[in-house]
Amino acid sequence: MNDVRDSLAPRRIAICVGSGGVGKTTVAAAIALQRALQGGRALVCTIDPARRLANALGLTTLGNVETRVPEHKLHEAGLRPRGELFAMMLDVKRTWDDLVTRHAPDPARRERILRNRLYQQMSAALAGSQEYMAMEKLYELATDRDYDLIVLDTPPTAHALDFLDAPDRILDFLGNETARTILAPAIGAGRIGLRLAQLGGGYIAKTLARFTGQEMLSDLGDFLRGFQGMYDGFKERAAAVRALLSRAEVGFVLVCAPTPFSVEEALAFHERLHAESMPVAGLVVNRLTPDLWPAGAGPLLAAAELTAALTAAGAPDGLAARLATTLADHQTLVTAEARTLARLLERTTDPRSLVPRLETDVHDLAGLARMAEGL
Amino acid sequence: MGLPTLLERRLVIVTGKGGVGKSTVTAALALLAARAGKRVLVCEVNAQERIAPLLGAPPSGYATRQARPGVHTVNVTPAEAMREYGLQVLHFRTIYEAVFENRVVRRFLRMIPSLPELVMLGKILNEVRAEEHERPRWDLVLVDAPATGHAVQLLRVPSALVGTVPAGPLRRDAEWMEELLVDPDRTAVALVTLPEEMPVNEAIELDGQVRGELGMLRGALFVNAMPDTRFSPEEAVRLAPLAAAAPPLGPAARAGRLYAIHAEQASRHLARARAALDLPTCVLPLLAVPEWGLSAVEAIAAAIAAAPPGSAP
Repeated sequence: MNDVRDSLAPRRIAICVGSGGVGKTTVAAAIALQRALQGGRALVCTIDPARRLANALGLTTLGNVETRVPEHKLHEAGLRPRGELFAMMLDVKRTWDDLVTRHAPDPARRERILRNRLYQQMSAALAGSQEYMAMEKLYELATDRDYDLIVLDTPPTAHALDFLDAPDRILDFLGNETARTILAPAIGAGRIGLRLAQLGGGYIAKTLARFTGQEMLSDLGDFLRGFQGMYDGFKERAAAVRALLSRAEVGFVLVCAPTPFSVEEALAFHERLHAESMPVAGLVVNRLTPDLWPAGAGPLLAAAELTAALTAAGAPDGLAARLATTLADHQTLVTAEARTLARLLERTTDPRSLVPRLETDVHDLAGLARMAEGL
Repeated sequence: MGLPTLLERRLVIVTGKGGVGKSTVTAALALLAARAGKRVLVCEVNAQERIAPLLGAPPSGYATRQARPGVHTVNVTPAEAMREYGLQVLHFRTIYEAVFENRVVRRFLRMIPSLPELVMLGKILNEVRAEEHERPRWDLVLVDAPATGHAVQLLRVPSALVGTVPAGPLRRDAEWMEELLVDPDRTAVALVTLPEEMPVNEAIELDGQVRGELGMLRGALFVNAMPDTRFSPEEAVRLAPLAAAAPPLGPAARAGRLYAIHAEQASRHLARARAALDLPTCVLPLLAVPEWGLSAVEAIAAAIAAAPPGSAP
């Protein structure tokens, strides 16, 4: 069951995806730690880690800076890595600003965009902005640095597919010639194209203005004009990111919990990755309830008999009934999870790792190392 | 401020980290309100529908539909909400269809920052305002909101637009929407969390954002899936050496020990949540159910009714 680790061994980039609340960040950190323990230079780029995990990784300040996890912290956790572990937290706003700065033809243009209030709102709040910038940062890290493994923890998306669509959606918006043409009257920049004349041209803009307000359209026009000329650079870059994602050195890791909803999300994502020819490195089913009832012990007894059997076996006074209920409830969960998982395992053939629910929440390096063993 | 107060509001927005049981709590609140004689609408926001199925009914889609007596459900999607909004603004279907149903324009509208969020929120808030036969169409609108970050993004759209958009129709809509959201008499946010590290951290952070950035009233905290204290610490210690025994005692002792460890950790996280969040709190039991359906929702509803938010622990 250590297939995911083996499947990741030849890869340089691992992208952890899955619905919220399945332990994606922890799995991402465990994968990076594992590579560091084996002798690699590994980086985990997280979006919003739990504070204690962030502390464990030495991430005390937010920012786009990669920080090496201090050796003494690893030693304190009883770990002797042969490689190095780095961690960073993605700063979405700053990544946007960097992108604009890189592509702006001159300082004046750069300032105009950075100061535009729509830009400021978009870079922080536009749906998909986080996903787009995670991809952007990944590309930068993959091309400008020399890590043996970069593990990207992705933002929790409302829908699994948002992640792949977000860059295109935003680029569509920034580079939409149609949008510019529709807004042409608002921008005051000349004639309406033939195609739009057929659609009604100025009439469309006028109707939209009733909807959004004339000034809103002007603002938007101004904003889009600011991006003119930079768009090609953006688009080229996004195409490069997309190409990077299809390379064999990349592996998507689908993280899910053994719940029906999470498994459905994982299957939807799996289908989509295949359709887009993006490489799946494996599935990690996290927080599996351990099966405590041995396979050879026959079916679990009903409550009354179980209580009697526990008493006969020497269960401490008064505990037998409570233990019987607890074991029965526990195994009910095990059975339900197994049924849910069967759907996932039947429909996929990728390497998979089943990670049991650990006794304590994972929020330190020792816990990450224990989890890594399960990968 | 107990449960009657929470459910006596016109709009309750339920949110929390992904996977904490928001939909279950929302569905349970809907059942309780309906039982108190209220007409309830539950809105999901562009989601894979969960409320209607949890209540044992088929998904409703964008058309409001009765899932249980007194409870209607609707799944609000950007495209449909845009259409409804556009028709409202333009009044004439033919104009709307000529302009807004145009493929190019539709794509363009989807890209205006925050417009999809605005029209979806607008649809929900319009339901709160809607009147029929000279009284509100719904006594209570419950929103099964997206997870933390996405919920904040959704709820702050009106105030962000009021701050950035020049005067115009869009701005006017953003203004009344913001007014409704921050009105503590009509609107409250209910936070849902689990007694675990990350969900509690996120609830604390979210609470700060709701109070600060959004300026909305937080009506209640629901701590879901709380194990009971069926084993005392001494008993838990006595179970440890039994773990190696033959079945059934060994497995039972291990199950008991895992339960006790889980319960001990959960109680620490619950205490942390209580200390950090000064909110009427409702603790919901950990249920051992093979499937989440109507009977599980009923059990959660019964637990809320038995110890509503703010009652003594």
